[in-house]
Amino acid sequence: MPGLWTMVAKDLRQRIRDKSVFIFSLIVPLALMGVLSLVFGGLGEDTVDLQPATVVASADDADQLGAALLGAVDSLEIMDVTIKRVPAADVRHETQASGADLGIIIPEGFSNAVLSGQAASVQLVEGDNASLESGVLISVVQGVVDQFAAGTVTAAAGGLSGLPRQDLAALARHAAAGPSLLTLTEGQAAAEQLSLRGTLVAGQAGLFLMFTVGFGVLGLLAEREQGTLARLRSMPVTGAAVITAKACTGFILGVVATTVLLTAGSQLFGVSFGSPLVVAALILSVVTAATSLTFVVARLVRTAEQANVAQSILAVVLGIAGGAFFPVQGTGFAATLLDLNPIGAFNRGLGISAGGGNVGDVTGPVAVMLAFAAAGLLLARILPDRGAQA
Amino acid sequence: MLVEVVQTQTRDVLDVSGLVRRYGELTAVDGVSFHIRSGETYGLLGPNGAGKTTIISMVAGLIPAHGGTVRVAGRAMTPSKTEAKRIIGLVPQELAIYPDLTARENLKFFGRLQGLRGRELTRRTNEVLELIGLNDRAGDLTKKYSGGMKRRLNIGIGLLHRPTLLILDEPTVGVDPQSRNAILESVERLSVEGMAVLYTTHYMEEAERLCDRIAIIDEGRVQAEGTRDELITLTGGVDRINLRGGGSMSRAAEALRGLPAVQHVDNDGAGLILTVSDGPTALAGIVTGAGHAGMSVTSVEIVRPDLESVFLHLTGKALRD
Ligand SMILES: Nc1ncnc2c1ncn2[C@@H]1O[C@H](COP(=O)(O)OP(=O)(O)OP(=O)(O)O)[C@@H](O)[C@H]1O
Ligand SMILES: [Mg+2]
Repeated sequence: MPGLWTMVAKDLRQRIRDKSVFIFSLIVPLALMGVLSLVFGGLGEDTVDLQPATVVASADDADQLGAALLGAVDSLEIMDVTIKRVPAADVRHETQASGADLGIIIPEGFSNAVLSGQAASVQLVEGDNASLESGVLISVVQGVVDQFAAGTVTAAAGGLSGLPRQDLAALARHAAAGPSLLTLTEGQAAAEQLSLRGTLVAGQAGLFLMFTVGFGVLGLLAEREQGTLARLRSMPVTGAAVITAKACTGFILGVVATTVLLTAGSQLFGVSFGSPLVVAALILSVVTAATSLTFVVARLVRTAEQANVAQSILAVVLGIAGGAFFPVQGTGFAATLLDLNPIGAFNRGLGISAGGGNVGDVTGPVAVMLAFAAAGLLLARILPDRGAQA
Repeated sequence: MLVEVVQTQTRDVLDVSGLVRRYGELTAVDGVSFHIRSGETYGLLGPNGAGKTTIISMVAGLIPAHGGTVRVAGRAMTPSKTEAKRIIGLVPQELAIYPDLTARENLKFFGRLQGLRGRELTRRTNEVLELIGLNDRAGDLTKKYSGGMKRRLNIGIGLLHRPTLLILDEPTVGVDPQSRNAILESVERLSVEGMAVLYTTHYMEEAERLCDRIAIIDEGRVQAEGTRDELITLTGGVDRINLRGGGSMSRAAEALRGLPAVQHVDNDGAGLILTVSDGPTALAGIVTGAGHAGMSVTSVEIVRPDLESVFLHLTGKALRD
């Protein structure tokens, strides 16, 4: 497209000269991150030191899987766990009386039940003061049991009814080999959920992205008001090139600002978003979505003034719904709507990335953002251009 | 293909034919046709709302026409035709410059879009800055310029790439007399250099001074077209001569009626009012004739018909209210 880069370079020069892009895209969001992290105070701690915990458990030492389960709990590296053995009937009472964090009742014949593919449930008794520690312990037990179940299912799929004896030992050993299990449970706990500070940084970056990309396509309205659009139309450049140049400007500003915000934010507030590659994919997707939305806005408004108002409303609505200030949850239709919000998808993607996810793990959020972008472009094509009639 | 070649060989730089543009119920431009030869300055003269800007917007390919065609040097012009746009330069009626860029940056940006590059771009930028007298202020943001300086830059951008056809839409509106004169002079100079110019105005003095041919536009139509003199003959082409003074005026009136150039003599008591076919030529004979007949002439005034009278004659309205 002839003239495209000439126009992009001109637009970028104007935006850099006009300090507002720095103010709205970098300084204000960074300041807000600082203020909000002060408001939320210590809650935002990323790492928590887990307290030593006590577990009351019943188990037959001869039951291999039961022993393996308790072994996994006992050998947790992230906290000290003391296991107190009592008969199954006393677990509930003892847990409450001793103020333990968790009670575990392993049914009699647990191994055999698992091996023969029958239902076997491990009962958990939560301590009176449900602590962070009991939460962690529950998820560990859940993880081990899931792995047992997975082994059973694999075996069943292999056409066997139950597991042969020799595999039982292997399964138990595997389950007891704590560390691999632990990473599994940790990973699940972190998935889709950023730390509070991480949410704050990502949310503000997402919210202000809506303002930043606005400097691109909405510049078109400024051109109309300055009369320069008429002059551009008299020049040997196509209308498509004029619009594309604006979109490119918004996109470039958006990518730069979001990258700077996430980098500065993670440095200042000590959060990590995981693999730079994954984060880059997420940034490109969310900026594409935001840029496409500005086309819709440009269609609906008549003046740059109105565009600024519309853009602010969208930024705040999408930002809040996407969890820029606090986590938002909905049910049913509302939940679906929230899931389709590109800023929400961006934050989810960053959560997955922060939890160690790779590019393959964020295809869901990326798909949401790109679908949003496509829908925006389509809508902008269908809508009549109100401004052109002015 | 053959047709294209033939058409690029015509002498017309601009050929407008049957142009129509509607805005809802209003037909703002209603079947306008005219053509401009190379080196010619062509004026569209008409009052506010006549349709001048709408015509120009179609000629420059800003908006589509609802009927008719525009050809620039034989190339069809519509909003999507970048080839035709390469050879026109537009100076819009409203300012069209970036306030947050300097004059030099404005010129370079638009010059680049017009296809100028490198040394050629720098050279033309400097030439135009010189021409519009903004050399000293070339590095200042244009939002700090006076109204006249902005207007001059607005014109300069249209000239940058030496267009074959320069289109100026009321370039002197809101400009002080000095800047106005400078603008008119540079248009004259460009015309001498061979550039074809389409010039719209509602000042008849500008149309008279600059334009080789003029179309009088009203209510979206060309009411009359021609050179200034051709247009003036439409009113009957008579001059008026006012003789003031004393003495025997009725005898003088009688004597002057006998002169061949004089069509009509009116005695209003304070002087004589004559209508004559060619005022300047007949003047000497009229003054001596009146003196011989005993009138003492103290002042003489020739009132020639102007485009204002033509407009009045054609539309029954004044050009300016
Ligand atoms: N975008 C538009 N929408 C509706 N009507 C319009 C539009 N542009 C022009 N018109 C109408 O078309 C008519 C011609 O307007 P135009 O601007 O061409 O006049 P003009 O001769 O340039 O006047 P001026 O000397 O005031 O610049 C006017 O009645 C005007 O109201
Ligand atoms: Mg006009």
